[in-house]
Amino acid sequence: MLSYLLFSVTIGGIYALLALALNLAWGGAGLVNLGLAGFFGIGAYATALATGAGLPVALGLGIAMLAGVLAGLAITGATLRLRDDYLAIVTLGFGEIVRLVALNERWLTNGADGLSGIVAPFKAQLGVQGFNQGSALAVTALVLLVWWLLRRLDASPFGRALRAVREDQELAAFAGKPVLRLKFQAFALSAALAGLAGALYAHTQSYISPDHFQPLITIYIFLAVTAGGLGRPLGALLGAYAVVIFLEGTRFLAALVPGIEPVQVAALREALVGLSLLLVLHFRPRGLLPERIPPAPKALP
Amino acid sequence: MTDPRSGFSRRALLAAGMGAVALPFLPAAARAQGSGPLRIAALSPLSGAGGTYGPSMVKAIRAVVEEANAAGGILGRPVELVVEDDQTSPEAAVRAMRKLIDVDRVVAVAGVWSSAVAAAIAPLCWESGTFLATCAGADALTNLPHQGFLARTQPNTTLQGRKFGEFALSQGARRVFMLSPQTPFVQSQFDNITAAVKAQGGETELLVYDDKKPSYRSELQQALRFRPDAIVLGGYLPDTTVLVKDMLRAGFAGTRIAFAYSVNQKLVDSVPAEAVEGIYTIAPSPAENSPAWKHMTEQAGTTTPDPYSTQSYDQANLVLLALQAAGTASGTAIRDTLRKISQTPGGTVVSRVTEGLAALKAGQALNYEGASGPCDFTEKGDIIDCQFRYEQVKAGKLTLLRIA
Amino acid sequence: MDALLQALVNGLLSGSLIAVPAVGFTALFAILRYPSFAVAGYVSVGAFAGWWVNTRFGLGAAPALVMAFIAGGLSGLACEMGALRRLMPSGALTVSIASIAVNLVLENILRFVFGNDLRGFDLPILPDLQWGGVFIGVQQLWNLALAVAVVAAVFGFLMFTRFGRAMRAVADNPDLARLKGIDPRRIAAIAVVLGAGLAGAGGVLLGLDTSIDPMTGYRVLLSVFAAAVLGGLGSVPGAVVGALVLGLAEELALLAVPATYRTAVGFAAILLILTFRPRGLLGEKAV
Repeated sequence: MLSYLLFSVTIGGIYALLALALNLAWGGAGLVNLGLAGFFGIGAYATALATGAGLPVALGLGIAMLAGVLAGLAITGATLRLRDDYLAIVTLGFGEIVRLVALNERWLTNGADGLSGIVAPFKAQLGVQGFNQGSALAVTALVLLVWWLLRRLDASPFGRALRAVREDQELAAFAGKPVLRLKFQAFALSAALAGLAGALYAHTQSYISPDHFQPLITIYIFLAVTAGGLGRPLGALLGAYAVVIFLEGTRFLAALVPGIEPVQVAALREALVGLSLLLVLHFRPRGLLPERIPPAPKALP
Repeated sequence: MTDPRSGFSRRALLAAGMGAVALPFLPAAARAQGSGPLRIAALSPLSGAGGTYGPSMVKAIRAVVEEANAAGGILGRPVELVVEDDQTSPEAAVRAMRKLIDVDRVVAVAGVWSSAVAAAIAPLCWESGTFLATCAGADALTNLPHQGFLARTQPNTTLQGRKFGEFALSQGARRVFMLSPQTPFVQSQFDNITAAVKAQGGETELLVYDDKKPSYRSELQQALRFRPDAIVLGGYLPDTTVLVKDMLRAGFAGTRIAFAYSVNQKLVDSVPAEAVEGIYTIAPSPAENSPAWKHMTEQAGTTTPDPYSTQSYDQANLVLLALQAAGTASGTAIRDTLRKISQTPGGTVVSRVTEGLAALKAGQALNYEGASGPCDFTEKGDIIDCQFRYEQVKAGKLTLLRIA
Repeated sequence: MDALLQALVNGLLSGSLIAVPAVGFTALFAILRYPSFAVAGYVSVGAFAGWWVNTRFGLGAAPALVMAFIAGGLSGLACEMGALRRLMPSGALTVSIASIAVNLVLENILRFVFGNDLRGFDLPILPDLQWGGVFIGVQQLWNLALAVAVVAAVFGFLMFTRFGRAMRAVADNPDLARLKGIDPRRIAAIAVVLGAGLAGAGGVLLGLDTSIDPMTGYRVLLSVFAAAVLGGLGSVPGAVVGALVLGLAEELALLAVPATYRTAVGFAAILLILTFRPRGLLGEKAV
């Protein structure tokens, strides 16, 4: 049971990083990234390949973030001038393309077989149990660090400018904000965080494959951010842990319904995920922890 | 930035709420695998891309468990089957497997379908000493450092690819084209087909397609330009359904050979009869008149059960009998006794769990012969050898041609 | 040469398969102003409904299409009115996210009731015509004709009927429309039935060529989105043109790019066209 809880904490932390990433782009700048799973995958593959080639894990994490940034810039470079709904759909396609490349470029990614035996730092010294504890601890610490940084960012002039862009792009441009550059920066930073989440996943689980990065995980993260409260890092953070508790909890709940086939249990579980997202949106449309817009400084430039 | 008072109370409320959600699930942990029911798991695709296969696999495993329980259970304890959906995603599967290992404390997991799922959960299994039985086809799987905790009932591609090639040749084909989605085994499968066909002076070609498309006309026409005498279909149910229709429309009159898990009775029933008439299928198989096959078909209520179901049936039988033979309820015990019940030379041949239990009671050594084949395993966990059953769709029914 | 001609034919035919659900999707967008992921669910619901009347009562493709339109339309109306409409104040993208949830629920209701087994229509498959060295699918020609007819009907409805004109007025400017005495809610309801119904009818066309299971709609969702974006979100003729261009791009690319990258080709086409025409091929106006 303890390992299960520890594992859930680790996964919750990785989901939390993804949720923070999404919250930064969506809650911060109004950019919907439906290809989150793709950026997650890019980070995972980047570090798996880098550390597989003998680089240290810390460098692998850095490369994963860099790979996320590069992918983010590539996709925004092509679409950022478009309306937001166009961006959403293009990112969705991008996520699928990442999966296709991972699946087909065998020379690089080992194709559908996936990459196994990814470096698990200190596992030999710590043992299995110790590694699980260490992973949970390290991931949680990193999540808290990222959260703290994002909170500071939120309160900074950059954060306020971003919100201005989200609320009214034209007005922000009129007020002299560099709208396009802000969007680029927000999206790239968000992509870097998603890449970091992918890297952590790779190093804690030691195996990745194209099938890991299906759109389902993107849905979970959207659930996390909307449930937690869009626009507020703490909301995204807690929302992610709540989603993991919910996903795991439904296993036990669905098992209680008598007289239905296993496939119906599975259907019930997935339907519950959808229903709960709808319920949250209906009853707490701004999430469990709604965004609070900080008062603007007295003297605007 | 945050209002400390309201922030705190809300946070506390949330934390309390989460705790309340988690609480009811805690007591399950208290039950260890020492007394009470003996738990094994089925982790199969019940939703997602593999969703067409999982339900009947779980059904097959459940039938074996019920049979064992009706005979008094294993090691004097009732067997409880815990079913989880892998959602055809290794990410979801890892979460499910963690729960199965740490909360349910299962000793073994069976009915694992996709190669990526098997590879993802394999480390959890060997680290926790949980036995993993799978139908996954990737050759790389048994090369993992699994310390014996993994066995698969699906023959590897060397065994299987050669059979496809030889069968095509036996139908008089010299030019063989393979159409397949991207799978972990497509390349080695094709290489093995090629080796067999080229040895007789034939030619082969491969086209790998994107498996979510509503039509494969251009892919098929590319294949037809090769002027093949035989086309090998390497996909799964949804994409193969599209392909067989497109082949009928294009008027391909040559030999069509498919895995029995893609052109199975479900596919045959769901498309117009003329689209599948004459297609050959190949599947690992036990010898003719195998009692396990017969028993399995009675249980499944169909004369042509899906190969993944027959394999799941065998996996459940093997796991339960190994537990009984070992005398202890653990994954390590299954690992150490699996080959003693599956392939003891001169052992009593058994084909279902009740027979095995009776033979064990009489102090006999066992040689399990299953519904998917003889179920003899190498050190690495691969099938040593098996026969293949060749069937053909005739008048909307899969009809047995021969077993060889 | 034959290969090129064949690729053109195949492109048009496979594009027509996506065209009808793409029109449904874009019609929903025109009125509701958000990209609805629930179309995948409406497609699957329609496919199952059509399959049901076909196999249960032995009716042909036409009644199956009608039934699919009705089932798709009603499920769309129920989801839109019951779950999505109220979220409008939270913004278009929030509703769009909610529609992902709606799709998940619809898919799993189908899974709960019907299971994951594949189903198919009890209708004969017509062999291809061969013309020169080029194969032309008869059934796909019917699909193409049907897609064109559906679009013509929708277009006619929008241009020449009272409801259609009201709908366009709402799409252009809801506030102005209200001033003119048009009830945007009623118009939106009709638009939803129309859009979701078309998605459902598209499910039957897809089901004829593929198989019917709870993921029938999901498998083509990306292509449907791509077609609508390519043609310009909200433009009905644009969705058809987008679907055909997408089909052509994918099939022509097969001559040069490995077949496994078909989806990627579609998206490359989108990026290319959006770079030069940021609102898609025909996206200037709402209709």
